[in-house]
Amino acid sequence: MRVVKLLASLRLTLVGMLALAVLAVVGTRNPAIGTGITIWPIALLTLNLLAALLTNKVFRTQTGLLVFHVGLLLVFACIGLTLLLRYDGHVEIVQGGAFDAGLVETVEQGRWHDNRLGDIELYQGEVRVNYLPGLNRQDTRSSIEYRAASGELRHIMVGDTRTVNIDGYRFAASFNKGFALLLHWKGADGREALGAVHMPSFPSFDWKQVTTWTTPEGQEIELELDFDQRVSDDRADWSFGRTDMPFSVRFTPAGEAQRSLRSGASVELAGGLVQVVDLRVWMAYQIEYLPLLPWMFVAAMLAIVGLTLHFASRVLPASAPAGSRAEEDDYGHVARA
Amino acid sequence: MVMSLALERQLVLVSVAMLLAATLVQFAGLVSGRAAYRPTAVIYAGVVILLGAAITGRWIREHQGPFLTLYEILLSGVFSLALMFLLISVLVPAVRGGWLVTSPLLLILGVWLTGVSELAVPLPGAFKTPWLWAHVLSGKLFLGFCLAAMATASVMLISGAGSGERTAKLTPFPEQSEKMIWVLFFAAFICHSFMLVAGAVWAHSAWGHYWSWDPLETWTLVTWLILGGTLHARATFRNMPQGMGHVLVLVAFVVAFLTFFGVPFFSIAPHKGLM
Repeated sequence: MRVVKLLASLRLTLVGMLALAVLAVVGTRNPAIGTGITIWPIALLTLNLLAALLTNKVFRTQTGLLVFHVGLLLVFACIGLTLLLRYDGHVEIVQGGAFDAGLVETVEQGRWHDNRLGDIELYQGEVRVNYLPGLNRQDTRSSIEYRAASGELRHIMVGDTRTVNIDGYRFAASFNKGFALLLHWKGADGREALGAVHMPSFPSFDWKQVTTWTTPEGQEIELELDFDQRVSDDRADWSFGRTDMPFSVRFTPAGEAQRSLRSGASVELAGGLVQVVDLRVWMAYQIEYLPLLPWMFVAAMLAIVGLTLHFASRVLPASAPAGSRAEEDDYGHVARA
Repeated sequence: MVMSLALERQLVLVSVAMLLAATLVQFAGLVSGRAAYRPTAVIYAGVVILLGAAITGRWIREHQGPFLTLYEILLSGVFSLALMFLLISVLVPAVRGGWLVTSPLLLILGVWLTGVSELAVPLPGAFKTPWLWAHVLSGKLFLGFCLAAMATASVMLISGAGSGERTAKLTPFPEQSEKMIWVLFFAAFICHSFMLVAGAVWAHSAWGHYWSWDPLETWTLVTWLILGGTLHARATFRNMPQGMGHVLVLVAFVVAFLTFFGVPFFSIAPHKGLM
């Protein structure tokens, strides 16, 4: 019990809050330290809060204060569980292509997270991103199809504030998107493959649509997408998503001469023949799994309701002076003096 | 009829000139020992009307609220702070001494406002959510309450430091002013808490992350911790000198102010989004 009372110390709360503030700033300014360090003061504050709720008698008489602190404790609990259960990653999907869990770049994955991305069936449709003059991005519309839990294939338009939740994973269209070259490979050994090479983000890198592609035979090729006319227009309204513009692709194998190809044309490379099939777009998605996020919101709102209750029942009445009218009159006299 | 940018600029310039007048009236009142509540209140009402007209005209012309650029944040900031302090001081006479502090502060923001580009930038699609409104409105309420608490605490510090009758007149009812500082500070804490939650919901819908530890978010959390820590310290150390509490309120406001208006030093448009 003595330990619990020590843990419930109000002074310890202040130490925890100060430590959290300092470590939050230090952690964000020093990538080597990272913000993960803030978990220690949060853990300390959680224990402190739990002990205070068990031992501090003030919570028995002040309902608003109790509700606020219970809400805060629930927020901490949600943060802790979220760290263990969460998933955060991103993926690029080419128009007409299917989501491939193997291509997802994981940013963070909690220790208790059971990765089920491989079960997701999702297909990318057309993409439209509208811009105002000055390349000011406006609405984003990305058409997708996905297999719902019921087995039904559903079509939905995502973008901006509209996302899709598939088996608990939230897919949100990001600002990142670009063009993709659909290439067909026919090896000398008869093997055939169809794949998409994603070019750099557009229009962020419209001046440098160059990337490196490695053939199935291991040869490195520099690919450059070159449109006959400028695609983006910063002086007028413009939409990203069209793929019917005339273009050519420059193939530059390492140490060899550059060759320029139009759509449908082929070029002989080491160990096979590659054909430029089509131009597509790719769309990037942020994928996250945060099962406790709605509960974290509820807990935070509960804390705010508790604070407001405490304010209305304790703080506001305590400030009301006895005979305030007379005091105001007195003040008026002083103000006029 | 749509208000031109030139007219909007003139309204802003006149408002800044009026804030200069309010500051001079306040300092003249301090030097002469005469209260300057009424003329200052009239000037503030004028500032609120002119800036309100400038914001409305801009809103109609640009088809969007003042949420994005540094100019818009300053314009709506000066308007909301002037309006809130005017309303609070009308309702609560015990905070009226705070004009002495708010007037030069709003003047500085006003002068800064005249030096930044007024050109509007279209709101990205991800900004079209009611959570943006909830976030911005609670933020304005927070800073308004915090300003009133800080201004009252500051004049109490000034009147406590000075020994003359003139400074004593700044806070004729110190007990009532002391109570109001904490009422306003507590109200600021509630608004700030809601601003944090609404901001997280909005960020999640706009950028896919409810919390990213960017400078704005980090310093908003630090501000919340200072606000909560100050209230906690007051409850913990009941014998804490009054002046110490006032200094803590001042520190909380300075951090909040730098978070609101200092972030533009890191990013010229804190909520612009990415191309």
